[in-house]
Amino acid sequence: MVVLKKTPLNKVHHDLKSKLMDFAGWELPAWYTSILEEHKATRSGAGIFDESDMGRVWVIGRKAGAFLDGILTKPVQQLEVGSSQLSLLCLENGGILDDLWAYRVGADQYLLVWNASNIEQKLDWLHRWAGSDPDIIIVNTSLDTVMVAVQGPSVHQLKSLESVSHLPHFGFTQTKIGDISVFVSRTGYTGEDGFEVIADAVKALPLWESFMAEGVKPCGLGARDSLRMEAGMMLCGQDMDTSTNPFEAGLGWLVDLGKGDFVGKSALLEIKSQGVKRKLVGFQIDGREIARSGYKVVKDGKEVGKVTSAGPSPTLGINIGFAYVPIELATLGTEIEIVIRHKPVTAHIVNKKFYKRGA
Amino acid sequence: MNPKEYKYTQEHEWICPESGNKGKMGFTDYAQTQLGDIVFLDLPAPGTKVEQFKKLGEVESVKAVSDIFAPASGQVLEVNQTVIDEPKLVNEDPYGAGWLVKIEMSDSSELGNLMNSDEYDKFVAGLSEEGSE
Repeated sequence: MVVLKKTPLNKVHHDLKSKLMDFAGWELPAWYTSILEEHKATRSGAGIFDESDMGRVWVIGRKAGAFLDGILTKPVQQLEVGSSQLSLLCLENGGILDDLWAYRVGADQYLLVWNASNIEQKLDWLHRWAGSDPDIIIVNTSLDTVMVAVQGPSVHQLKSLESVSHLPHFGFTQTKIGDISVFVSRTGYTGEDGFEVIADAVKALPLWESFMAEGVKPCGLGARDSLRMEAGMMLCGQDMDTSTNPFEAGLGWLVDLGKGDFVGKSALLEIKSQGVKRKLVGFQIDGREIARSGYKVVKDGKEVGKVTSAGPSPTLGINIGFAYVPIELATLGTEIEIVIRHKPVTAHIVNKKFYKRGA
Repeated sequence: MNPKEYKYTQEHEWICPESGNKGKMGFTDYAQTQLGDIVFLDLPAPGTKVEQFKKLGEVESVKAVSDIFAPASGQVLEVNQTVIDEPKLVNEDPYGAGWLVKIEMSDSSELGNLMNSDEYDKFVAGLSEEGSE
């Protein structure tokens, strides 16, 4: 039997009688009360998510910045201390190993926050490129820390976050919530304003409680997925992986081909000059049917692609998704069909950012 | 809490026998808590023949698709249009307004293959124990 890993908040999830599931080897709540309620609470108030499954890895040392610039698609040494950026970790052939946040915490101190899947593969990858150099130290703190996201339009009214309310988007600081030392960044994965908070694992319960006391709603993986999908955010391992390149995944904006050499750069230059043959697009189903990950995309009776993420959009009341389609079909407004329960169902290609904050 | 006069399947459907070999069917309360928010129902049109324990339709929650199985063989007499328009009725009132279809049973002795409410209560309690281990 597979024993699932527990986050420092596991007891909370059990006590709240959440519906638990296996997510990349972690036991996490699919929902506490209802995905729809949790989704709506985050869009209209504030929700809290246990994101401890995500990896938190420090890269420190005199050559840390140069090392990261050699494996990431965006230049980290140009980041000011106290700011962060999204970046990709690519294989030599340009395939996407992961997307991650790189925080420049000190001149020679970087924190990487990446997805739960393939943690070992990614750590091995870092160690492989770092080699035995004593000026590049990689420290995985994922299991010693807790990470929560607090997201939604009313986060700025929370007392717990009063001291970080001034942070610019993608900015971060090390401060205290009550007497708990925390690392807080103004980032998130929901399409709402909000913060992500990292603290020592032993402080997980008081940290959680401080947000509960202010009425923040616990939200599970279901809402995490529907929120990010509505906001047009992709999930690595589902919408892109080592068999997809950043340009077809619509992540070309995360690749800086003007910076110095990095792993995958020559392959990515080649791919860019040749142009991509397929593209990840957003689609909206015309009717009431719901597409799901893995469903076939059909055009003129021929299978032309696959759905990667899909489901209902609770905010918009429509059924949406992402799919890879041939480049000639990837223009807005193009009609495609998705095979749902053996029947082709009409859908249209639309902007991937289905939901925009304040819209 | 599971109605006494209903009969239950291991797949968490109920059927409420009425006069004239007819019966309404739906999901149990346990089923709706496991499925979560229900957002779409694919139900057979009146006249469709169904077979006991065979697939009758599909239910979609926000998260996933699941099959619906027929609690008895026969023919679909009526489909609950209200629940098709408002699938969350299955979550809110699984034994009442959230019923799915009415079946004209071809062999009412098949009801003997189903659990009564006490048996179903025990069956669900057993599942919850397994789940918490």
